[in-house]
Amino acid sequence: MDSRLKDLAEKLDTGLIARREFLRKAAVVTGGTAAGLQALSKMAGAQSQTKLRVWLFKSFVTAGNDVLEKQIQNWAKDRKVTAEIDWATFGDREQKFVAAIEAGNPPDIAEMQILGPMRYKAALRDVSKVAGDIASARGGMLPFADKAMKLDGKFYGVPRYSMTTVFYIRKDIMEAKGLKPPTVYDPGVVEFARKTQDVSKGLYGFGQTLNRSDDGNGFMQNILWNYGGGAWDKDGKPALATTFRDQNLKALQFAVDTITKQKIQPPGVMGWTDVSNNEAFMAGNLVTTNNGASLYYAMVAKKHELASKTLLVLTPGGPAGSFVGSSCYNWGIFQKSKYADLCEDMIRYMEDEERFAEYMKVSVGQAGPVYKKRTENPYWKSDPNFNAIMQNIIRSVPTGYPGPVTPAAVEVYAQNTLTDMAGRVVTAGLSPEAALKEAHARVEEIYKARRS
Amino acid sequence: MSISTAELGAKTALGPKREGPLVGLARMLGPDHRLGYLFILPTVVLVLALVAYPFCYAIYLSLTRKYVGVPPVFVGFDNYVKLTFDGFFQRAVVNSFIFTFGSVAVKLVLGMVMALVLTSGIRFRSFWTGVLLIPWVAPTVVSALNFLWIFDYSLGVLNYMLVKVFHLLPQGVGWLSEPGTAMASVIGVNIWRGFPFFGISFLAGLRAIPAEMYEAAAVDGAGPLLRFRHVTLPGIRNILIIVMLLSTIWTFNDFQIVYILTKGGPGGATQVLPVFTYEIAFGAQRLGEAIAVALYMLPALAAVIIVLARYMRQGRSR
Repeated sequence: MDSRLKDLAEKLDTGLIARREFLRKAAVVTGGTAAGLQALSKMAGAQSQTKLRVWLFKSFVTAGNDVLEKQIQNWAKDRKVTAEIDWATFGDREQKFVAAIEAGNPPDIAEMQILGPMRYKAALRDVSKVAGDIASARGGMLPFADKAMKLDGKFYGVPRYSMTTVFYIRKDIMEAKGLKPPTVYDPGVVEFARKTQDVSKGLYGFGQTLNRSDDGNGFMQNILWNYGGGAWDKDGKPALATTFRDQNLKALQFAVDTITKQKIQPPGVMGWTDVSNNEAFMAGNLVTTNNGASLYYAMVAKKHELASKTLLVLTPGGPAGSFVGSSCYNWGIFQKSKYADLCEDMIRYMEDEERFAEYMKVSVGQAGPVYKKRTENPYWKSDPNFNAIMQNIIRSVPTGYPGPVTPAAVEVYAQNTLTDMAGRVVTAGLSPEAALKEAHARVEEIYKARRS
Repeated sequence: MSISTAELGAKTALGPKREGPLVGLARMLGPDHRLGYLFILPTVVLVLALVAYPFCYAIYLSLTRKYVGVPPVFVGFDNYVKLTFDGFFQRAVVNSFIFTFGSVAVKLVLGMVMALVLTSGIRFRSFWTGVLLIPWVAPTVVSALNFLWIFDYSLGVLNYMLVKVFHLLPQGVGWLSEPGTAMASVIGVNIWRGFPFFGISFLAGLRAIPAEMYEAAAVDGAGPLLRFRHVTLPGIRNILIIVMLLSTIWTFNDFQIVYILTKGGPGGATQVLPVFTYEIAFGAQRLGEAIAVALYMLPALAAVIIVLARYMRQGRSR
């Protein structure tokens, strides 16, 4: 306790001062101390370095996270600034952005996922200059990156890398059965799964949830495209139960049939989250599954016995071709930042080819190229499994395809509309047609709300 | 006898001095009343800043079309009207009621059993009390993540026990992948987590009932059931109402268990209002609509609280 307060308390106890006088003097002492502390704090603040708040994506590839942090701290040391790094991962990154933007306190710079520029456009700076400089020095952006980052003719994100999904196959089981990797889902994956699974031993031919998750949403989006359908037409208007009704119906029927009719999926697959198929594959319970490179990284990094028995191939397709949704992690600078030039400098530093190569190599296939010249890096030939990753990235298309990336398309994806559509057939017993109509009504509603 | 106006004026002036409400309040608060205002000021400011202002602002936002990073546009009751006819919202309301009442009813029974057992002559009573409190003390996120693993179809311990250890089922159950079992599972976890609160509250109430009342009832020939009905239940009536009230509110607003276990799936089968609010706010980024979802059930909950509170006060006055 402050000695002056203690004196006052003693005087009050002995009756030397009245209670009112004690309170008045105590208030003066306390107020004075608070004012002094604030002055000290200001003096201390005036001497501190420029502080840049940097938000990064914490991926499952921990070695990549370490390199990322190290490089940013090196840059900060070099520029004599402080980089305050904060991390967010799949389940909480968007919530953090929403809360920070609404509180008027976003970071200076953030690593965002592909939908970030569209979602937070109102709070982001135009980064066309730095994006253009970096891209032109690297032979230009790959088409999907250009399409996803450029909104109304301006760039709101500087592309960094692509984290695509590929099709995982247990090579040992495939070879034992004398099979080749399937190139289409129906009948390719179905027959492959039937021939390779052994339900009595808990081994299932295919593991793909249709539950609310990134994995489920990505698969549903791809399968609609594979059948020539999709949620949007080329003008960005709702097409689920109108323009592409027949194609979407066939795609939906196939997706639910893998669970209800073909019986090639584990019984609990509708309750899976994003990590469930990783766990099931590594536990030896699946012959095939769709996943990002993080699963391969986990097996390689842990020297898992299945790492050498796993084959990564192109995602299977359907009657209209083979489609994969794009991924494009990118740097965004927030309008509120007072250090836009520093942020741009940091981006240029981080996207230096040597530094990016260091990050790419420890990421074991997860940090795929978004610029043309990076596709030529010999690293992508260092492991036969990387070819599928590279090819899937190059042909990938963004949410909203065949139309543009729109706020409505982003929201339909974020609201689990497509997985709910499948879930209503598998678990609630709706007919595919009824579920398609229900989902279309939701897409229409989102489209109208976003247009207004 | 008549009194002139002047006399009346003089009598009034000489009569007892009229006191305004503030003077009366000042007298009631004592000579240091000004200091009293000063002391209460921080609390008032805090309540206004941290409760009243956000609440009023939330009501305002619910009447707007508000997207993240964009100024709100006033739309009146559009959000509420739209929600009324939204099938997904309706499903979330129904699920919320099933989740809440299914959970509270079982917690009530289990809590009562727990309290009765712990007031009986059971050995190591303190130990058992501690053990039974663990679910209530453990962080909900940790519990929910553990249950996520327990319920897993192929790697979960529950199916392993049922199928491989006890041979009770020929094959595992998709606890979180079927609508019925998914709802039952999330309710089950909520019950597991919440029943110790009922039990420990009832335990406190039971200990306050004089033993003489049970003795008198026994002398009158009342068996255990009659004693429970006519002595125990009336004795803990107020606690029972408060506990049910609190639990209803907490369960209705429970987010963590459902979000971690099912995210409202499969196919929206366990979608409850807090998860729906969260999705609309952070997934769709429609903040105005999300707040409208959160506030939509407020009048109904307030009505329940008022009715129960009034019922409780009536009971006390009797």
